[in-house]
Amino acid sequence: MILVNYLAAAALLCTGLYVLLTRRNLIKIVMGLSLMEASTYLFMVSLAYRAASTAPVLLGPPAGRTARQLAHGNVADPVLQNFCLTAIVIGVAVTAVFLSVAVRIAQHYRTLDADRVRAMRG
Amino acid sequence: MTTKTTRRTRRTRTTSIGDGRALDHAARREASEREPVHRPWLGALLAAGVAVAMGVAVAGISREHASLPQIARYALEVALPRWKLTEPVNEVVYGTRGFDTFGETFLLLAAVISVVVITRPRERRRGYFGEETAGAREQAQTDPAEGRDDAEQSARLAERREQDDRASGGEEPQETPDTTPLGTSAPETAETMTVVVRTAIRIALPILAVTGLYLVAWGYSPGGGFPGGAVLLGVVLLAYAGYGRRKISAVVRPSLIETIELAGAAAIIMTELLGLLLKGSFSANWLPLAAAQTPLSGGIAQLFSGSELIEVGTGLTIAVFALLGMSHDWARDKNGGEDER
Repeated sequence: MILVNYLAAAALLCTGLYVLLTRRNLIKIVMGLSLMEASTYLFMVSLAYRAASTAPVLLGPPAGRTARQLAHGNVADPVLQNFCLTAIVIGVAVTAVFLSVAVRIAQHYRTLDADRVRAMRG
Repeated sequence: MTTKTTRRTRRTRTTSIGDGRALDHAARREASEREPVHRPWLGALLAAGVAVAMGVAVAGISREHASLPQIARYALEVALPRWKLTEPVNEVVYGTRGFDTFGETFLLLAAVISVVVITRPRERRRGYFGEETAGAREQAQTDPAEGRDDAEQSARLAERREQDDRASGGEEPQETPDTTPLGTSAPETAETMTVVVRTAIRIALPILAVTGLYLVAWGYSPGGGFPGGAVLLGVVLLAYAGYGRRKISAVVRPSLIETIELAGAAAIIMTELLGLLLKGSFSANWLPLAAAQTPLSGGIAQLFSGSELIEVGTGLTIAVFALLGMSHDWARDKNGGEDER
């Protein structure tokens, strides 16, 4: 059933891509990029999921299991959770860069419409 | 914030009684206005193509019954014996994949520096380059008689009032909105929010700050530098929203938080390099390990995570406040409209 999560992440990514390709408002383009970022978080956390697993915490394991057994058995993938943690911080920082560029463009061209920012069209 | 919103709604409502038709018309026009889009069909086609490709791709990858990859199993096995960490995610972040986290930290630093460079104001630079002082001496040499005319004087005054921590002359902005009767139609000049919001923030702020530091120091195991840093930003933003810029300007000023940020980055470099020097491999543990579930159990993980707290907390604060401070440097409006700030 985790396939549904994968497909939802793919749909989220494509929604973000569609927004990115078709919108002309720079703020909305940044929002589209944030949607695409969010889809990667969903995808990585879903990839980390294992059926009937516990969280990767070696403390107070479920009844009948020791921490050593837990290390070999059914837990969610900690590496992908680490990826997600990393991606969130980077996502915030990159969004800040995009937004500051968008504000500078608005201040310079007096518009947020990407089609009217013509300086790079020769 | 709630009070402000209610007040604004009421104001709109009173105006709409006055010239309701014009407003109604404008609202309807705005609602029916089509947002300009850029080649929607091509965009939809490309997005649909990517959707199909992604659908095919995710249908073939491993699902919830697959066994854990080698690196995940390795991390789970070494977390307790080698690092005394009960939380393998922390072991991965600060141990097995420490180099990755190290690189990510400097990606964050690079992004923060980009934001600082892009948002740098054209006006007074708080002494970064000393242009004002240098320019003043030159002007005194070449043209000592030139005074400031009225327009320049008032512009400089307004500028200084906005930039400085203490307002100098002119109309003093109101301290709090508490004395303003409800329904007053003028724009609010108060810097702080109402007593209700301020009291709520005064209670929530210490709890939030302690929770953030607890995440770093303890949790299941030490090492919550990233979420802790984000909570730190939340604390600063709450104080800013409730009490205004002047109240936090003693702490949130570029010279201080940029120094702390770079000190955090230096601490991370030192932590990782000492592993190379003392233990022969980058990001190896060189500190003694305490018992599991104590604040010092992870060895360098705790040092790394604490530095990460500083790095992330100050980095995000710098980025947010740099964005909030970007009110100046508008190009002249060609259409001759009012020069809005």
